[in-house]
Amino acid sequence: MLIDCPHCGSRDLAEFSYQGDATRARPDLASTDTKAWLDYVYNRPNPAGRHREFWQHAGGCRAHLVVERDTLTHEILTVAFARDAAGGDAA
Amino acid sequence: MVERASPLGSDFRPGFHGDFAEGTGVTILEAIKGSIVEANAWPGEEKTLTENLSAICRLKLSAAPGSGAANREGTCAFNIGPGRFLLSGQDEALAGDLIAAIDETTGTVTDLSHGRTVFAIEGSQVEWVLAKLFALDFSLSAFPVHTGRATAHHDLFVQIQRRGEKRFELYVFRSFARAFAKTLRRASEDVGYTIR
Amino acid sequence: MSPRRTSAGGLIDRTRTIRFTFDGESLTGHAGDTLASALLASGISLMGRSFKYHRPRGVFTAGIDEPNALVTLLREGVREPNIPATQIQIYDGLRAESQNRFPSLAWDIGAVNQLGGRLLGAGFYYKTFMGPVMGPLKGTRFWMMCEHFIRRAAGLGRADFEPDPSHYEQTNAFCDVLIVGGGIAGLMAAEAAAKAGKRVILAEQEPITGGFARWSGETIEGKPAHEWVSNLTARLASLDHVRLLTRTAVWGYYDGNTLAALERVNDHVARPPKGHPRQRHWTIRATDVVLATGALERPIVFPGNDRPGIMLAGAMRRYAEEFGVLPGSRTIFFTNNDSAYEAAANLRRAGGHVAAIVDVRAKISSAASELATAAGVSPLIGHAIVGSRGGKALSRVFVQAFDAASGTLSGDARQLECDSLAVSGGWQPVLHLASQAGAKPVWDGEKQAFLPPPPTQRWTGAGAFLGKFGTTDALASGRDAGLKCAGKRASRGQLPAIAPEALDLTPAPVLEIRARGRAFVDFQHDVTADDVRLAHREGFVSVEHLKRYTTLGMATDQGKTSNVPGLAIMATARGITIPEVGTTRFRPPYSPVAIGALAAERYGDLKPERYTPMHDWHVERGAEMTPAGLWNRPLIYAAAGETVEQAYIREAAAVRRSVGIVDVSTLGKIAVKGPDAATFLDRVYTNTFSTLKVGKARYGLMLREDGIAFDDGTTWRLGETNFLVTTTTANAGAVMQHLEYCLDILWPELKVHLTSVTDQWAGAAIAGPKARAVLEGCVTGTKVDNETLPFMGIVHGQIDRAPVMICRLSFSGELAYEVYSGAGHGTHVWETLMEAGEPFDITPYGMEALGALRIEKGHVTGAEIDGRTTARDLYLDWMLSKKKPFIGSGLMDRPALIDKNRLRLVGVISLDGQKLGGGAHLVERGSADEPGESIGHVTAFCYSPTLQNYIGLALVRGGKLRHGTRAYLSDPLRGRFGQVEIVSHHFFDPDGERMHG
Repeated sequence: MLIDCPHCGSRDLAEFSYQGDATRARPDLASTDTKAWLDYVYNRPNPAGRHREFWQHAGGCRAHLVVERDTLTHEILTVAFARDAAGGDAA
Repeated sequence: MVERASPLGSDFRPGFHGDFAEGTGVTILEAIKGSIVEANAWPGEEKTLTENLSAICRLKLSAAPGSGAANREGTCAFNIGPGRFLLSGQDEALAGDLIAAIDETTGTVTDLSHGRTVFAIEGSQVEWVLAKLFALDFSLSAFPVHTGRATAHHDLFVQIQRRGEKRFELYVFRSFARAFAKTLRRASEDVGYTIR
Repeated sequence: MSPRRTSAGGLIDRTRTIRFTFDGESLTGHAGDTLASALLASGISLMGRSFKYHRPRGVFTAGIDEPNALVTLLREGVREPNIPATQIQIYDGLRAESQNRFPSLAWDIGAVNQLGGRLLGAGFYYKTFMGPVMGPLKGTRFWMMCEHFIRRAAGLGRADFEPDPSHYEQTNAFCDVLIVGGGIAGLMAAEAAAKAGKRVILAEQEPITGGFARWSGETIEGKPAHEWVSNLTARLASLDHVRLLTRTAVWGYYDGNTLAALERVNDHVARPPKGHPRQRHWTIRATDVVLATGALERPIVFPGNDRPGIMLAGAMRRYAEEFGVLPGSRTIFFTNNDSAYEAAANLRRAGGHVAAIVDVRAKISSAASELATAAGVSPLIGHAIVGSRGGKALSRVFVQAFDAASGTLSGDARQLECDSLAVSGGWQPVLHLASQAGAKPVWDGEKQAFLPPPPTQRWTGAGAFLGKFGTTDALASGRDAGLKCAGKRASRGQLPAIAPEALDLTPAPVLEIRARGRAFVDFQHDVTADDVRLAHREGFVSVEHLKRYTTLGMATDQGKTSNVPGLAIMATARGITIPEVGTTRFRPPYSPVAIGALAAERYGDLKPERYTPMHDWHVERGAEMTPAGLWNRPLIYAAAGETVEQAYIREAAAVRRSVGIVDVSTLGKIAVKGPDAATFLDRVYTNTFSTLKVGKARYGLMLREDGIAFDDGTTWRLGETNFLVTTTTANAGAVMQHLEYCLDILWPELKVHLTSVTDQWAGAAIAGPKARAVLEGCVTGTKVDNETLPFMGIVHGQIDRAPVMICRLSFSGELAYEVYSGAGHGTHVWETLMEAGEPFDITPYGMEALGALRIEKGHVTGAEIDGRTTARDLYLDWMLSKKKPFIGSGLMDRPALIDKNRLRLVGVISLDGQKLGGGAHLVERGSADEPGESIGHVTAFCYSPTLQNYIGLALVRGGKLRHGTRAYLSDPLRGRFGQVEIVSHHFFDPDGERMHG
């Protein structure tokens, strides 16, 4: 699998670290809503098909990316810097 | 000042190695740098940072991904990530000068003069040797002179700048330098290599 | 003169004789020979024994599809099994052995298995090892014992137990166009793409390009085809932007047009030249791929079809044309298509004798008739071969009238004498890579073959791969494929003229002749046509079940000759068509790949080693080094005759008594800078850093989001917006990644920069009552007294001209300092500290003593912060700020995480004076044999020089509540059961008077 890093260009999967589901909604740091925290930490949809994931280009520019990927075909649809993706983790 | 010790052990000894019967395809050496720093711009300040760095180091640095520059005194710099640059030069005072010169509203500068070891590898077979270690296209058109790339060889994180048509500089974490030297040497055996 | 070698012709170099041995017998061949062709030339047709039945087998093909002639090579003192003789180029001194036979290939005891053929049918293992209960023997166990012997009798070559001395390497390549297959189509594609300026890589699995053109006997532009292709190859090789890789099999097609190839760089010589690899693994990233992988011939399945002397018609043709070898003196051809006629004519022209051509079809083309005439026979049309005779060599075959439309035999069987038989069941394009790339092959009823699917990645087919088997088609489709990759339209330009004209190779739909006797489908796994029908009867009808139940196509040849016949037989049994049966998806590798080639430069060197700046000093002082992650750290510095335990007790005692020095350079160090640095640290640590004064350090704890403890370490405030975070050695990478995640994803609005400075600093910790005195003896530029440098204070100064940064903090519980200098000055500073410590008998200490000191002090490390414990479990709840939220604060108070009965930190003291054991369980009652329920476990232990006893840290249910109680240490693995007392984990100086003093 290749990921087209917006900074470095197309690189081999081996340079990237999977950093989790990018569809989760993170509660505010001060939130005491345990259910919201549990959802954030543990509940995952695991879709067959389109999915949004965080990947870090750890063996490259170190930036975190939001990768939209088809979990059935491995096709990568979009890649963007996580910093630029609206709302980051909460998107 | 106290002289800095090289992290490379006695295995890295000058001479001809590998299959050198018909000459050596590459030369490997530790490129001794007086200063190495990482400079990092705040979002939106990339242009200011590159202008300031260019002025201090007498370079023509741009903020484009992977771009780089070098001057006659051997000071060189390249982009290693969004808004991030690796700079090096012969002068041991350069690191301190840069830290002092970059305003906190522009970005930050961190001294890595001891923390990175730089290998220079050059010669007719340099692209052949490096292709064994990194999944990068080393052809001149895909990787022009002065430009840089951050990549990895398994667990080894490496930042690479092309310093000439047939010359590259590879920045590794100092503690990995000995292991990387071994890897580099092994990859050069079939073309024969000189250690200087 | 070899008995089977023609007097002239072929592409071998008859002026060069090469000597080799097969099963110890000295033989010769010529440069250009494969082991198979050289053996055939020497009159050897028996080359192996079959997998289950130990039937004698000869070579069946001339290429990569070989199922039978697998040999073991002896190279550089090790055995490499299961190499097809057709894939070995002979070299002087080559040593090969046949496989799966005892005591010899000719007299093999295992051949007795043939008598039990019915027992060893499909599903044999599945049925057998669900064995019945036999008296006192538990069924399965009894059969397990038998299995050992049965498995020994069945099999391929044996692997060696010696390490592989070969050197392998891997490399990466990038190109515009990768062409797989160096036959005519591939070469034409390469030329067209190269002319358009594309960067081209062409990979050919054989040593020389040309493919079919090397043995077709055709002419192209008036020249022998092999000459024409070598000229074209030479032209391509002279181009800078074309890389020709021969002996290179592309074996995998992955996402993103990434392909894997294996180059057998030096398998054709006895020993690679100095510094050169034996094999090189290529990872190739191509914008476009041309699949010009050709086609493989299929056999027709009939009883007795596996005797030595029977081979594919195309192989017979290749041996005659390319190698100048006539595998027999009386050859019969058996076919369902016209290609065998060409082969027969070629064989005759090379000097062979064609005894008959048996054709299942009722009618043949005029072109075929002419070729039969050229071969000197009149073909037996409407006939089939129904059996064969011969022991280790073929002696005759039986022929009967056959109706291709109904598949029925009629009349009496006739006997025909022969010593070789060439079979053709038509041609199947090699679609493996296209299938791997993600698409299903499509069955073509007219061509009776699977054809390439529409591409799912950027590839273009060319030549026989497309199911177009003529040379003119190869020239045209190859050129068009190359043009397409260059973004150009197909050409109408003149193509080189071919002679003779191509035949129509459409076969009759006959792939099996059903008659009495064992008919093999998969030679390598000894799967018969009846096995396929048995699978059908027993309900294993899907293609995936058929494969697994019978092992059809699962051998090292991956069913290259057996795939289509196997499907045809299942289709007939089910009364459906081949496409309805379906085909399995091909998986990598297309052909076998040595594990060594995949490991390449990591062979014997799995991980890179990390060294601290003082590494050589430690080694020179006799330190025993120990791995800590990738790092190497001193375990002990043993004096003469000391055990590890004696050494660490001495070292730890020296620290308590006077002063010691330890290398702490491995601690993770992260520069955290920027106006929001303090805010950021307040969020990621449980305690507060915004209140920390410049020039001071503070111990910090990080939790994970789920409230479990993550990592600890000290953070130094070097400036208002400049912090140095230290992490544990083991978690340095994970903490960096965690912090980067937080900044990139959680709080991108924070202005904070992170840089790993682990390698920038050498760290030496000086600990013990005399630590200050040592510093006073060598530090300049700053005072180090209690006022200037209080506990957790930081100063900057020099040690013998080298700049240093000193922080007063303690892991041992003693008065202690961490001295950081530039890594390049590390050894210089260390040696100066040693000199300054000489009057105090300064003692370097290693990991063992470091561990003993921290256990005495009750400090936690990764053994206790183990991914399951919370801050409360470790009695670090005083570090959980109540004034601010932080990562983990949302979930750390969940009921299960604050339960009183959680495993919590305690100390344990041995009551019998014996060692404790890391990981040993603690129980309240029981005996060594029947220990009671576990109440926790020991995380770390040591001999405490202070307490003069074995002590340890443990996580036990209830923690503190058990102080003063007794328990038993249960360690059955080490055969240990003994009483301990549970105490506070602060064994030593609980009030910290020594480190604050």
